[in-house]
Amino acid sequence: MIPIEKKISIEQRLSLLVFNVEKEPHIIVDTNRCKKCEQKPCVYVCPAELYKLENGEIIFNYEGCLECGSCRIVCPHDAIKWNYPRGGFGAHFRYG
Amino acid sequence: MEEKFDVIIVGGGPSGLTAGYFLAKAGLNVVILERGNELGNKSMFGGRIYTHALEKNFPEYKKEAPIERWVRKERIVVMDDEKAFTAEFFADTAYKENSFTTYLTKFIQWLGSKAENEGALIATGVRVDSLIIKDGKVVGAKAGEDELYGDYIIIAEGANTLLLESSGLKRKTQPHEVAVGVKEVIRLDEETINNRFNIDSNEGVAAHFLGYASKGMIGGGFMYTMRNEVTLGVVVNLSEPSKAKVAVHDIAEEFRMHPYIKKLLDGGYMLEYSAHIIVEKGPLKENELYGDGYLVVGDAAGFELNTGFTVRGVDFAIESGKIAADAIIKAHERGKNDRTALSTYVKFLKDSFVLRELAAFKKAPKFLLNKRIYTAYPGLILDFLSTIYKVDGTPRRIYDSFKKAKKNKVSLITLIRDLLGAVRSL
Repeated sequence: MIPIEKKISIEQRLSLLVFNVEKEPHIIVDTNRCKKCEQKPCVYVCPAELYKLENGEIIFNYEGCLECGSCRIVCPHDAIKWNYPRGGFGAHFRYG
Repeated sequence: MEEKFDVIIVGGGPSGLTAGYFLAKAGLNVVILERGNELGNKSMFGGRIYTHALEKNFPEYKKEAPIERWVRKERIVVMDDEKAFTAEFFADTAYKENSFTTYLTKFIQWLGSKAENEGALIATGVRVDSLIIKDGKVVGAKAGEDELYGDYIIIAEGANTLLLESSGLKRKTQPHEVAVGVKEVIRLDEETINNRFNIDSNEGVAAHFLGYASKGMIGGGFMYTMRNEVTLGVVVNLSEPSKAKVAVHDIAEEFRMHPYIKKLLDGGYMLEYSAHIIVEKGPLKENELYGDGYLVVGDAAGFELNTGFTVRGVDFAIESGKIAADAIIKAHERGKNDRTALSTYVKFLKDSFVLRELAAFKKAPKFLLNKRIYTAYPGLILDFLSTIYKVDGTPRRIYDSFKKAKKNKVSLITLIRDLLGAVRSL
């Protein structure tokens, strides 16, 4: 539980969830394709802020994924190979 | 491993479990495949279920289902960064058991236990990787090394239609056809919630927010009172954030920090943060809802309806699950599982509220993509009210305030056209 009077960083928000992290990433990003992408919509839509821009390049980490699928749908260059984590892995919601 | 069932259901949410319940009850050999390690822990929604489909299919729900509060107050809140205009609808008895708030996770666990009691086999921790298609007919599901075969396959995979798309049964989802919703669960205590919302312990409030919640993007905000918590969050159409250069995780936080929300939730603690996508484009075409060996139900079929006033999914999921079961039971009696035999599914859907209501609102998705609903009009309402409530000695009649508020936002002709559009589509 985190008191809400102050801002709560995305890392803190994600720390409230139970994750059973898979060793193999369930999402693979071909960052070569990201180089030609101007809009980079993944950066804005991911509710877990897993797509970050560093020196104009996409840095992606699958840990903390909420499995919503938004990034797959918005990617204009088919650069995201998306799957759910294997059965039993990933985020577990208690108050979904 | 290779196994054979009468029916394989992919996805243990409200639609899949309802179908499983009725199929098992009719004596069919049913397996429900769910990727979560427990039922319900991959599912998420804002917080409310309309009861009519439960009344019909599970009349015992009132005693058994995990109901948090009965919704007695409906609020629509138009906000900018510091102002809010609230319209509240309250009826003492008329809408008493129209809808209730709950957690989908818990609701699904209840529905799952009912399906299991009827003899449905629920396999959790199983991710279906692909459908097995032979000569154009869906005959089974592949999960890792396991191949499961069934006479009928029900696709209940939810709004993120990965399986349908990878099997070529639906074209790729486009960003403007769906929204992402994020939800925060805030623990307060029962007494505090009762006092702040002026309700008793069985009563609840449902609120929809327009304007600031989605930062003027196509979307909005929501808030529901649970027994000891309040859920709140934002919904944004996926075509929007990259155009506006606004991040979804940031607006969820700014919504929570808005003075109107902050005062309601003061002293609260965040318990959970989660996300899910929502269908905004309406249902699949009739010929995509079924085919040789398979049916599509619930969110996967696009059975969600947002009118601005009501946001619905679970009632459509339950009814479509029941109708899928009816269609399969009928086809099974005749020993058939081809496309023609399963076309009764669409016929039954058309006779039910599912396709009747969705057809009545078929113009709503396009209308709700009008940006002015989320920017110009909330601004107009709030500027208008700010002007008429402000007393500073300036002679201003009500129409003068309206003209002032409207200036630079929208022309009178556009406004009238949009109003007509609302009448036609909603």
